[in-house]
Amino acid sequence: MSEAAVLEQGAKAATVRPLVWAAVAIGLLVLCAAPLGISSYWLRVLTTVLMYVIVTQGLNVIVGITGYHAFGNGVFFGIGAYACGTAMVAGLPFVVGIALAIVVSAVCAFILGWPILRLKGHYFAIATVALNLAAVQIIIQIGGITGGAQGLALPLSDWDPKPLYIALYYLMLGGAVASTAIVAILLKRPLGFALRAIRDSERAAAVMGINTTKAKVCAWAISAGLTGFAGGVWAYWITFIEPSSAFDPAVGVKAYIMLIIGGMGSILGPVIGAFVLEIVSTLVWSGFLKAHQLILGLLIVVVCIVAPNGIINAFARLVRSVRSNDGAA
Amino acid sequence: MLAQATVNGILLGGLYGLATVGFSMVWGVMGVINLAHTAFITLGAYVTYVLFERYGIDPLLSMPLAMATMFVLGYGIQRLILNHVIRTSLLLSLVVTFGIELILTDATVLIFTSDVRSVNASYASTSVAVFGTLVPLVRLLAAGLSLALGIGFFVFLRRASLGQAILATALDREMSNLMGINPQKVFALTAGAGAALAGAAGSLSSMLFPVSPTMGVSFLAAVFVITVLGGIGSVEGCIVAGFLYGLVQAWAAYWLGTSLQEIVAFAMFLGVLVVRPQGLFGRAFFGEHA
Repeated sequence: MSEAAVLEQGAKAATVRPLVWAAVAIGLLVLCAAPLGISSYWLRVLTTVLMYVIVTQGLNVIVGITGYHAFGNGVFFGIGAYACGTAMVAGLPFVVGIALAIVVSAVCAFILGWPILRLKGHYFAIATVALNLAAVQIIIQIGGITGGAQGLALPLSDWDPKPLYIALYYLMLGGAVASTAIVAILLKRPLGFALRAIRDSERAAAVMGINTTKAKVCAWAISAGLTGFAGGVWAYWITFIEPSSAFDPAVGVKAYIMLIIGGMGSILGPVIGAFVLEIVSTLVWSGFLKAHQLILGLLIVVVCIVAPNGIINAFARLVRSVRSNDGAA
Repeated sequence: MLAQATVNGILLGGLYGLATVGFSMVWGVMGVINLAHTAFITLGAYVTYVLFERYGIDPLLSMPLAMATMFVLGYGIQRLILNHVIRTSLLLSLVVTFGIELILTDATVLIFTSDVRSVNASYASTSVAVFGTLVPLVRLLAAGLSLALGIGFFVFLRRASLGQAILATALDREMSNLMGINPQKVFALTAGAGAALAGAAGSLSSMLFPVSPTMGVSFLAAVFVITVLGGIGSVEGCIVAGFLYGLVQAWAAYWLGTSLQEIVAFAMFLGVLVVRPQGLFGRAFFGEHA
């Protein structure tokens, strides 16, 4: 972002901020009340949207704030799902499973981060894709308690389906709010400043005395923890996981596109991106059962050409150009 | 048995190398990681399949046609879509090409259904003796033609003026632009050539493997490993790394079993990235800095 753009944004923020807070409050109220008035189909759609909010915020930490394009970040979604799944099959309660999903994902990112975060640009992006693809094979090889290629059936809850799904909805909502808050807090902390310094110039950040390796690894661990949480809740919600569904590369890629739509490095962008893409693709899905992949692909291409810096920026640019045209006329 | 596995591995490696050359070139010249590359392989195979099934044209004769079709497709996609995107952010190309891959693969499923097809040339069951092992003729042909196309492309880059324009743009985009080379056209040309080579690889593999909409994706791991192992944008590196990859895969299958093959591939990939990210023959191409 250029200096002028930053200054302009700062000046605008003072007038826009109360409006944003009002919108956030109304949005939260609507989301809290939503389960009372919607069908179970739309409850499922909204739960998926909130799940993607969490995954996209996780991605935002490493991609948007740190500038490391973890294209295969979906690997932590799968790790979280499997950590929660195997823990619950082993007889541990759901709460422990979720805690493990977060911790195991974060620890994996921490360990893998030391060698892999040394890679730059494309190399890092591709290495994470390889991790994602390799994880499928590793789970199949481990077999045993992970269920291997056959998949893993989680123990069923003794709750009735309806209250269970509503509870899981609120859990995802809580996760979405928490992950957004974590991003907001992170941006204000020294670590957040260090990460943005790394994004803009890693060498300059190192010269200023930032331990870049430590900061990057911490960022990826936070990112993985958030993504792992979403994966853990998803596993319990779906109740049957297999390597190809838990480590589906599309999870990470979709989150990446949501991040692009919403705008990288912003606090609310990922939320907007997740809502827009997931709801649009749900509508597309129901409209074109056979060609939905084709339409999703078209959607991706159009978004990247029309709004590579996010729809908010594209909208602002449109408004500006319309205004300047008016001025000219 | 080991000799048989070794010869088979090397022959397959030739095909893997050809399947990778275009991907590596596109990455090296413009820094685009083309996830739609595997779809070009699939489509090349389907062109050959259609010509063989409808008109009885021999796969080896239809290969140039598959290459020409893919050239047009690759050129068009670069001109109409990718050239606009790489102007804003290089990493966006990952997302766009993922979208293009979805479109092409889904279109393939819609047109040809997901049924598995096969191309059986009249000489499909002939075998020849190589170093005391029996090798299917089609594998030998595929490896030989792959090598020939790889070398041909290498010579094209070094000798033809268009090839030199590609190399110049890869080495220094601004300077080559000052010399009167239009990067937009060079990008489209590179993408077209890359897609054509992928189409050739698909055409050849239609004789070896079942043809299905997902056949290209099975090359994905190989394409990534070979690109990085050979050095991004290096044609000769791709060919050598292709043979190496085929050999390692064959030996991994022989000693560790086929189920561990892919893990060995990914271990190789991550190992090369961490230890020697520039690969065997890597140079300071544009994609290296991006």
